[in-house]
Amino acid sequence: MLTLVSRNSPAAPSGNRRRRSIEGGWKQITINRAFLLPAVVVFVFLFIIPLAQGFYWSLTDFTGYNPEANFIGMANYAEILRDPSMLSALAFTVLFAVGTTVIVTCLAIPLAVQLNKVFLGRNFVRSLWFFPAVPSMAILGLVWSYILSPLPSGVLNTTLNNWFGIDAVSWLSDNSLARMSVILVGVWAQVGWHAVLYVAYLQAIPTEYYEVAKIDGASARQQFFSITLPLLTPAMVISSFLLLTGGLKVFELPYTLTNGGPGFATNTITQALITSGVSQGRYGLASALAVMFTIVVAIVGFSQLKVTTMISRRFS
Amino acid sequence: MKSRALRVLALAAGASLTFAVAGCGSGGADDGTTTVSFLSWTGQEQMEPMIEAFQEANPDVRIEASYAPPVAEYIQTLQTRVLSGTAPDVFVVAAENKTNLIQSGAVVDLTGEPFMEGVQSFNLDTYGSDGAQYGLSLSSWAAGYAYNEDMLAEVGYDGIPETWDEFLTMLQKLKDAGHTPFLESVDQMPTTVSAMLGAQTAQMDPAMDELIFSGESTFAEQWTPILEDYNQLYTEDLVSSDVVALDGDQVRDEFANERVAVINAGPWIINAVEEANPDLNWSFAQVPGRDGGMPFQAGAAAPGYAISANADEETQAAAKTFLTWLASEDGVQMFHEATNDVTVTDNFQPEVNPVFEPLVEPIREGELYLPMISWQRDEDRLNIEVVAQIQRMIQGAVSPEQVASALDSQLSGS
Repeated sequence: MLTLVSRNSPAAPSGNRRRRSIEGGWKQITINRAFLLPAVVVFVFLFIIPLAQGFYWSLTDFTGYNPEANFIGMANYAEILRDPSMLSALAFTVLFAVGTTVIVTCLAIPLAVQLNKVFLGRNFVRSLWFFPAVPSMAILGLVWSYILSPLPSGVLNTTLNNWFGIDAVSWLSDNSLARMSVILVGVWAQVGWHAVLYVAYLQAIPTEYYEVAKIDGASARQQFFSITLPLLTPAMVISSFLLLTGGLKVFELPYTLTNGGPGFATNTITQALITSGVSQGRYGLASALAVMFTIVVAIVGFSQLKVTTMISRRFS
Repeated sequence: MKSRALRVLALAAGASLTFAVAGCGSGGADDGTTTVSFLSWTGQEQMEPMIEAFQEANPDVRIEASYAPPVAEYIQTLQTRVLSGTAPDVFVVAAENKTNLIQSGAVVDLTGEPFMEGVQSFNLDTYGSDGAQYGLSLSSWAAGYAYNEDMLAEVGYDGIPETWDEFLTMLQKLKDAGHTPFLESVDQMPTTVSAMLGAQTAQMDPAMDELIFSGESTFAEQWTPILEDYNQLYTEDLVSSDVVALDGDQVRDEFANERVAVINAGPWIINAVEEANPDLNWSFAQVPGRDGGMPFQAGAAAPGYAISANADEETQAAAKTFLTWLASEDGVQMFHEATNDVTVTDNFQPEVNPVFEPLVEPIREGELYLPMISWQRDEDRLNIEVVAQIQRMIQGAVSPEQVASALDSQLSGS
């Protein structure tokens, strides 16, 4: 039986050696840990303190102009839960994050397998797929708003009409189509980048595995599911984590493509945060939203890590 | 020796830092000049010549300008500086931040200052509260309808009709003639609704928003009939509901390429339209009146220059010198030439493109209305709600009454 991944556990140090290394190394350990201090200071000042301050503000009516803020308990949290636009923003943000993660992962792996093959102009094709990841999402959103314009003069509608005689489609003016459009543009922009990530991992898979599998009579499909996919699990963990966290923080794309509309259909949490905090001077409310969002991100992030760890164990 | 060298180095570094920090601050200097820090809303290209001209005329005042583009970035920059106690001495008070700035005492009361006298009272009242004035607003803008004269002539009209019913009839004729009759971007408060509300409140005493915000009336009572009339555009299938996904630039491009007869627009489209289609025969008009009411236009006073309450007396005096120059004939003329804004002071008559002429007189008379400016609190919150709800109304998801009631709910929850 072929073992794809072997875990070579190092021999355990003997009791004497271990004791000697600890006794002789306390000073070294202390020095080593001192090197962590700058990172700890940065973490505390740029993460822990702002987080605590944000939580404090979430319990006040802080406006962002007057440093005096009154304690109002959980009123900001209650207002968010009552506001349908906030809940809509939360729902679309989660839909975008999960939707882009699933679709990009499903498309990027087969794409990476193709891009990993030897063919004329391979580097050019790889660059072509990678290119959408280079410009900012804001610029992509503006460009796609012209392409997906629901008017008959929109780029896509004109093309569909000229080639297939199809009437103008309400890409961005129908709630469902607008949500789908934002997700698909997000997928288009990211799939090439993640395919390149998978290509890097594919190149690390020894060709001997495929040669042995071929000798054993494995089909291309069997090779993909029994060799390629299991060995890509670490890449999938990284890719899906980046996609999920990036998706939850999405702002520029929906803001420039649909401005959160029609209605609140494609509104996102980050847009709601900026609108409430900056434009409306309701820092207290925006902080409450940020605290709730942090909790949601933590839950989604840890769940994703748990699932991917389980998958990794299954294949290792 | 080494230790002494280090001490000298530290001293030199400390001294240079002190000078550098002192150089960044506002106020008087040894050479007799007073430095006024200024956060500009207008771009550097337009503002710099004005600052140079001011400094030439007032060598004892130096303007230290910084720039932030409107709207969100400007608001955020100013907000951060006000909160951290480093507010610029002169900055811009806009619709989005006027309530917070005035209520937090961040701006100086400019009521009765000589430089405020020649400015249209509509502009002064816009950036005022309880009879006090806080912003020097030198210009206003208006938006109405831009129309293609040739398309309208084709169906027997030489301009936009004065009543809403006649306007709907004209749109139907344009549609029957195979034209797209009307497009209006609704990514912001629709021009039509603002103008209709303006026409209504102009005939009321007390004004509509005073009644609503004092609790004597409601949005549902005041707005529902207007939204019902506006919604006829969509319920009678004269305009596509696809407008919910259009922004002003897309609507303007459709107009410039003669794919639509009438659009909502303001002076900001003039250059782009004339560049894209120099042969287009077009003009501006007011939004037709409802039920025999008068035609009106959406619009507002431009953001006003304010003085920080944190500035010391000497700096405030220098800041007032700057505002005095801005409101002078030379200052207003330079402001108009740099920004193309329609200025509203009595010491200068601005020249505008002839196509925009129909809206100039209402601007200078202050016959303008924009809900977000007129609302007394929660302006941005209500604006976001109403834009989203109007989009939903156009899609047929909610009724005009539900749109107005949603505003009442937002107001009662604030």
